[in-house]
Amino acid sequence: MIKPDDKTLMERCIKGDRQAFEVLLVRYEKPVYNAAYRMLHSRDDARDVTQTVFLKVFERIEQFDPQRRFFSWIYRITLNESINWLKKSNRLDPIDDNLADDSGGPEKEADNQQLSESMQAALMTISPDYRQVIVLKHVLGCSYEEIAEVLDIPEKTVKSRLYSGRQLLKEKLSERGMHS
Amino acid sequence: MSIDSRYSDLIQADIDGEISAEDKADLDAYLAASEEGRALHAEFATLAASLDEIGELVPPTHLKHVILNQVPAGSVSSKRPGLVKRFFEAPVLGYIGTFAAGVVLSLALVDSDQISTGAFDDMTGLVGTIANVDSVNAVHDTVSIDESEVAGTVTLRSNGPILILDFDLSAPQTIQVIAKYSDQTIWFNGFAQLESSGTSVAAEAGTVKLEMNGKRRYAVYLNNPGRRPASIEMQFVARGEVIYETNLEFGT
Repeated sequence: MIKPDDKTLMERCIKGDRQAFEVLLVRYEKPVYNAAYRMLHSRDDARDVTQTVFLKVFERIEQFDPQRRFFSWIYRITLNESINWLKKSNRLDPIDDNLADDSGGPEKEADNQQLSESMQAALMTISPDYRQVIVLKHVLGCSYEEIAEVLDIPEKTVKSRLYSGRQLLKEKLSERGMHS
Repeated sequence: MSIDSRYSDLIQADIDGEISAEDKADLDAYLAASEEGRALHAEFATLAASLDEIGELVPPTHLKHVILNQVPAGSVSSKRPGLVKRFFEAPVLGYIGTFAAGVVLSLALVDSDQISTGAFDDMTGLVGTIANVDSVNAVHDTVSIDESEVAGTVTLRSNGPILILDFDLSAPQTIQVIAKYSDQTIWFNGFAQLESSGTSVAAEAGTVKLEMNGKRRYAVYLNNPGRRPASIEMQFVARGEVIYETNLEFGT
């Protein structure tokens, strides 16, 4: 059976189809949650941001521009909400490299997760502007053109931010002896 | 010697799979002649692979239900955005602001024998930290509930002799939550909620009963002066039927 595309689901949502909203929720819950986590480095905050994102989608459904792709709309809301969350908790500034390590917990249960957590800790040391292009590229799998659409910036700026963000990450990881 | 920006751009585009055939041929020729270029290419490729391999997290199982329960039933166009917006914009200090009302309500409903067991401790400090309890209060047990009638988490924390039942739940219809503890040395010590009118509480010896609907975050405080192991039996009731049961354990 062919699954309805986002555009069709949004049109059904706007007409009042709650089931269509649920299909979108199932489709985007995981990417939204993961993007929020990578921006915030907290499962609780990612959960709360995910809730807020979907409720905002629901509240603003009639404001959705049908010319726009749904993923770019919801990802933009996700990143904006994540940055708002960082502002509210006074964590907008990149954290000190020495403080970036997670203190432990379930995320560090296995070696591969430790690698993931080290990368996550390094991500938290770069500014949210760089972090969000990295998240869009590597967590959400967006192309340059899609990142530009989500963030409403030129592709040239996307490439520039990606390059700078990666250079900074490379330096942070190198300081930790993870990448030469 | 630094790498020409054209080639650093092409290196990145190559790693990202966004390079044209013509540019790829140009880049390959450049890399064949540039050790520095090859080094940058290798570093970026390693970094990109590491970033692509960072694990994908699975959202909490109850999250979908929590969200759906906050969306008003019926058509999307019949939504009531004010309620949701109000909830998410509610300041954390709302807990403190409504705590007094919660305690007054609790005092009004709590059994007189309970009140005589001991004076209510000042919970203000605990209430103020409820939004950041992970770092302040020890977590002893937690359950995730993923039922159509109620979804969310209940966490048992402690701070000194105070046991804190931290409820973060969403229910589309009114439900009752019953918490029972058999240890008679434990007594109901207070109640706090983010919204003052959303949840009601009644307590008697060994039992606290709550009634709620919608998205609610609230806490029940029990005094466990002996800090003895305790088991709290939880029941969730909808339409007069038990829909979910669980136990939360402290020090057992």
